[in-house]
Amino acid sequence: MAAETGIIAIGAGIAIGSAALATAWAQKTIGAAAVGAAAENEKMFGKGLIYMVLPETIVLFGLVIAFLLWTKM
Amino acid sequence: MFRPQEMTRTLLIGAKQDLEHTIELLHTLEVVHIIDFTTAEADEHLTLGAPTTKASGVSQNLLKVRSSAQMLSLNPEKQTISEKLSEKQIQHDISLKIQDMELSVLSLMETKTRLEEHFRKLDERIRQVEPFATMDLPLEDYQGYDHLSVFTGYVRDLKKLTENIPTITQEYELFFSDADDQMIALFIIKKHTEDASKLLNDCGFTEVKLPEGTGLPKQFIEKWTEQKKELSEKLVQTTKDILEFRKRYAEFILASEEYLAIEVQKAEAPVLFGTTEHSFMIDCWVPTHEIQHVTETLEKEMNGSLYIQQIESKHDDEPPTLLKNSKPVRRFEYLLELYSIPNYRDIDPSFILSLIFPLFFGLMIGDIGYGILLILFGILFMKLFKDSEGFTNIGWYIIIAGIFSSIFGLFLFGDMFGLPFMLAHGAEGETAYTWSTLLGIHIPIPSVIHKMESLGMTQLLVISIIAGYLHLGLGLLIGVLVERKHDKKHAITKIGLLFVLTALALLIFVMADWTIGQWLKPLKDTTIAPALWGTFIPLVKSGFSFGGLLVPYVSMVFGILGIILIIIVAGGFGLVEVLEVTSHLMSYTRLAAICVAKAAMAFAFNMIGLGLILSGNIIIGILGVILLIFMQLMVFALGALSSGIQAVRLHYVEFFMKFYKGEGLRFNPFGYKRKYTTTK
Repeated sequence: MAAETGIIAIGAGIAIGSAALATAWAQKTIGAAAVGAAAENEKMFGKGLIYMVLPETIVLFGLVIAFLLWTKM
Repeated sequence: MFRPQEMTRTLLIGAKQDLEHTIELLHTLEVVHIIDFTTAEADEHLTLGAPTTKASGVSQNLLKVRSSAQMLSLNPEKQTISEKLSEKQIQHDISLKIQDMELSVLSLMETKTRLEEHFRKLDERIRQVEPFATMDLPLEDYQGYDHLSVFTGYVRDLKKLTENIPTITQEYELFFSDADDQMIALFIIKKHTEDASKLLNDCGFTEVKLPEGTGLPKQFIEKWTEQKKELSEKLVQTTKDILEFRKRYAEFILASEEYLAIEVQKAEAPVLFGTTEHSFMIDCWVPTHEIQHVTETLEKEMNGSLYIQQIESKHDDEPPTLLKNSKPVRRFEYLLELYSIPNYRDIDPSFILSLIFPLFFGLMIGDIGYGILLILFGILFMKLFKDSEGFTNIGWYIIIAGIFSSIFGLFLFGDMFGLPFMLAHGAEGETAYTWSTLLGIHIPIPSVIHKMESLGMTQLLVISIIAGYLHLGLGLLIGVLVERKHDKKHAITKIGLLFVLTALALLIFVMADWTIGQWLKPLKDTTIAPALWGTFIPLVKSGFSFGGLLVPYVSMVFGILGIILIIIVAGGFGLVEVLEVTSHLMSYTRLAAICVAKAAMAFAFNMIGLGLILSGNIIIGILGVILLIFMQLMVFALGALSSGIQAVRLHYVEFFMKFYKGEGLRFNPFGYKRKYTTTK
């Protein structure tokens, strides 16, 4: 039982961890470009913010899976 | 409230001799958005208007005033004056005063620059002569020899120099300063120049050029320092004069700058109009409720010599957007415009934004302690940046979010600074601190939802999904309303998406059966109970098992119906939107995620901090207090920042994409916001 719980916990950790990494990776590129665009034209700020936060949904998928695993522990 | 102000397109046509009077009237009315007449519309009869005759004179005066303002470093946008000046007074003064003022400013500035220049030159000279002052030789003694070479400058290694020069020749003379800077003057027979310069190089020699002039350097410096002192006194006086002048003329400069800017605006207005040889035509948008007032005023003042015609707006017209909202909601227009200015045909979501944005923001923080901090912070923000419209608006959002956060913290989560007021179960988290155990008094504020327990997390996720369903559903409904007239296909796709969304939400609710069942308990004794438990719940719950997951029939029906609708109208490509709406619904789980993440961070910091404080050792205790305050502030800052951004995002991305087009044109009435002048 304990070993199984441990495996589930590791799985949950991988789920959220890798999703977070993916999000960070995507946001790095978009964020840099968005700041550049906003510096050139302030009107781009709103649009830049949207593009910037789009990948955040990825980490939420990870979170939901992690949570579903957690409830099985 | 949900629609921008209705606009009517109006044509004003008149004779050229009435042009200036018309411009004057429109300028005072301040409700007419003039459509720029472009050369593309011009033909042999109708051409672009030219500025009136006084335009160039007024522009020149404006230039003079502005240059004076700049020289005196007066920024019209940042000044305030005690009393507004009347336009008549300025008109009377302007021709006399401007000339005078410009000359005075110029002469004052010139004096100042001249003095500064002179001061700088003296400084430079002193700097040049200074090295020689340490040696008591008059300047003329350094030059004019036929058989001698002279080196003047600094050396790093004086000792080496004095030791080695005699090995070259005995016919030399070396002077050096007593000070630490090792200034030297070496006089040496010309034929040894090369050897000497090699030696000097080895000793780290840097040449200092001999300044012009004759006499003892010390005397020079004394004389020049004296002159510098006189100059700096004069400079102080001039600066004082300039300040005095600035004080005396500030009001006039600011007011006349505004007056002239308005005059230029009026004089150049005709370039927005179409004109023929004897007449002009103004094409403009007027808010419909103002049209009567505008027409009446123009007709009365012009004795009917102006032809006013309202034209029916065409489909491809782009009327400007003027939002109409009550004052508290108007602050949220800023947040909306940060995304994009609403289109004239858009639904204005400011009101919805003003309710749901702070609601989400507050839910994510959900703590009375941070809530009160937010309110205080918001007030401070508004006070600090009261000149900036954007920042005061943000301060306002923070205050409202703080109120919501406090309400959630008090009634839903029952915690303050990440600590619950009391423990409900006792079993879970026995070691955890609560306000009741800390203060030793029982505080009867229960936590309806415990953020740090698995059940609480499930409940929060379900709340997030419900919030997402309602928010997205509202967005889609508005989308259907907006599109139903001009794009039926889009409208039907949105209905299909609404079905799919409902199917997804039902599926999730059935999965979270137990959580929702608990919330419905209070309805057990009401009259709707039989309908709810007798028909509705069994209907929703009946379904088939798919891979251990119960799929309700209702959900299936909605889902399939929605997808069929979408495929019929939009084709297979429409299914992308199904995926999109699914991910958008999931996206609302960020509400729960941030809520819990912030609580977990606060919980961990509280454990560390309180552990130190209650350790019994005074020094560790004090350290603990400092550490805890620091960590709490960090949680507050991170929590407020991420909650704010995520709440904005849920609107910009998930909500607005369902109906909002934006890219509107701001209603910009012909007129001027007067700050320093009045027309009276």
